[in-house]
Amino acid sequence: MSAPSTTLLTVPAAMTPAVVTDLSKRAGEILRGGGDVHLDCAALVRLDSLGLAFLTSLHRQAEAGGHKLVLHALQEAPAAVLAKAPAHPAEGEETPVPKLFEAVGGGAYALALEWKDVALLLSESLYHSTLGWRKPKTLLRGEAVTQMIRLGSTAISIVLLLSTLIGFTLALQSGLQLEKYGAAIFLADGIGISMITEIGPLMTAVILAGRSGSAITAELATMTVQEEVSALRAMAANPFQFLVIPRFWALTVTQPLLTVASALSGIFSGMVVALLFFNIAPQAFLNQLQGGVEIKYVFQMLVKSVTFAWLIVFIATVKGLGVRGGADAVGRAATDCVVTCIFAIVLADALFSFFFYL
Amino acid sequence: MTTTPNSPATGAPPLRIRGLRAGYGTRVILDGVDLYVPAGEIHVVLGGSGCGKSTLLRAATGLERPWAGSVELFGEPLDWTQGRPADESFLKIGVLFQGGAMISSLNVEENVALPLRIHYPDLPRAALRELAHLKLQQVSLDGAGLKMPGELSGGMRKRAGLARALAADPALLFCDEPSAGLDPVTSRGLDDLLLELRETLGITMVVVTHELDSIRAIADRITFLSTGKVIFEGTLEEAASGPEEVRDFLNRQPSSPGTASADVIAFHLES
Repeated sequence: MSAPSTTLLTVPAAMTPAVVTDLSKRAGEILRGGGDVHLDCAALVRLDSLGLAFLTSLHRQAEAGGHKLVLHALQEAPAAVLAKAPAHPAEGEETPVPKLFEAVGGGAYALALEWKDVALLLSESLYHSTLGWRKPKTLLRGEAVTQMIRLGSTAISIVLLLSTLIGFTLALQSGLQLEKYGAAIFLADGIGISMITEIGPLMTAVILAGRSGSAITAELATMTVQEEVSALRAMAANPFQFLVIPRFWALTVTQPLLTVASALSGIFSGMVVALLFFNIAPQAFLNQLQGGVEIKYVFQMLVKSVTFAWLIVFIATVKGLGVRGGADAVGRAATDCVVTCIFAIVLADALFSFFFYL
Repeated sequence: MTTTPNSPATGAPPLRIRGLRAGYGTRVILDGVDLYVPAGEIHVVLGGSGCGKSTLLRAATGLERPWAGSVELFGEPLDWTQGRPADESFLKIGVLFQGGAMISSLNVEENVALPLRIHYPDLPRAALRELAHLKLQQVSLDGAGLKMPGELSGGMRKRAGLARALAADPALLFCDEPSAGLDPVTSRGLDDLLLELRETLGITMVVVTHELDSIRAIADRITFLSTGKVIFEGTLEEAASGPEEVRDFLNRQPSSPGTASADVIAFHLES
């Protein structure tokens, strides 16, 4: 060990944050150099919490390294404050680091419990919105209509706007390619089929997942957090009947309608593109469309849109009612809901493509 | 009041809990709790924060599934084999939640009438409104019936919650921290209200709280929880000679004294 340093650090009248930062640096250097820290406290009149905490931590740091913190000419007032320094460092309940098997087992158990809850929520939601819907004793009259307006019809403008824009882009891009082969008229088939079977249902579902799905989750999660769901349960009301059925019917009715609107607006903007850029008269476009679009495509659109609506309602319900914790959990649940919904919708769409075209 | 509590004719106690174990994840909250509440009693469950009071209340009301042990309401055990207790179990009880838990999309009147409207949707609206009016009057909230829950103050929301809990004339009422967060006058008013309800309707009550004034005002018997176990059960007078932790709690003494003088750092001082 090198010779003990006798550098005396001067402490000013008050231990401000700037002073503490500075002293901490200089004292640290002395300790690293292997010496004791000597502080001249003659001028120090006020020792606040930060100062106390600093001196305490410096003391512990010095002791741990086998050195000393020596306070010179400490006045009475700061000395009295210093007498409160706890001898033992802050102790928290340290979570023991689990061993590998414990970690894997505990994780799997927690996951199983979570999935059990999800399965229970899902089965109840499914039951009460299908087989159990005829027992709507807890269904408040008019609630489904209110939800239709809130979740469905207010989304019409954004659905129309986005579908029109996508129809426009799609028609222009595909028209330019088809024109090279002198087949621009087939634009009508392309737009018609893609808007009806793919873009319409998918776009509507994605918009509703972001708009209505997150709204359902946030509302149900807030109700859960504020014990409103518990209160319903304590009234012997089934929260699923009370909360899920109106939303289920709201989306089951409005989503196909919105999907039809989406497909029509996309086809309409395709027709405008055909007229403006490729000189195809609306009548010719419509004739070609009629020949190309079969009724089964419309059927596929409706099946898809209803399926997507149910996915949104069930995922939103499970995420909303399964929430535990406070305000942060509500936010997380809403985000989770949108991500899971979009994933489930795209996955279901892929499966539909598989079944419909193979 | 002409209504009569719908308590079953049997002599079974309104609430009996045996060997209750409950928790969240792998954390044990309640570890072998017994509780016996005879008819007509106001039983206060108390203890410091985080001792498991609220979990006990949620398990007793069938809102939380315990790990082990049994909960009997009027002699009938809560049956969890269907994933949750049957609706019938809930019909005999009323629960006042900590924040009132009013359904935010319904106004106060609709909230109060909800327990009946849910089960008897064909009841005439006028009768339901009258009932809500009656219950709101009982809790001195008449005039607030058409307000939305968001427009009420904390104390009003609790009283509205109490009106709703009483709507179906339960024979057993659970209250979760009825006076927490209220000013002393409102809090005292709520205590008086509970006493009056017991007097006029003979309702048995289980009140979870840690407000000492409230406990002294209403408790017939108390159960003291500490880290998930019952460490005392009896009257307040008996508590005076009970375990030290209970005595300290009732006398507002911290159980573990602050940093003792011997337990501080000896700094190296030089003059």
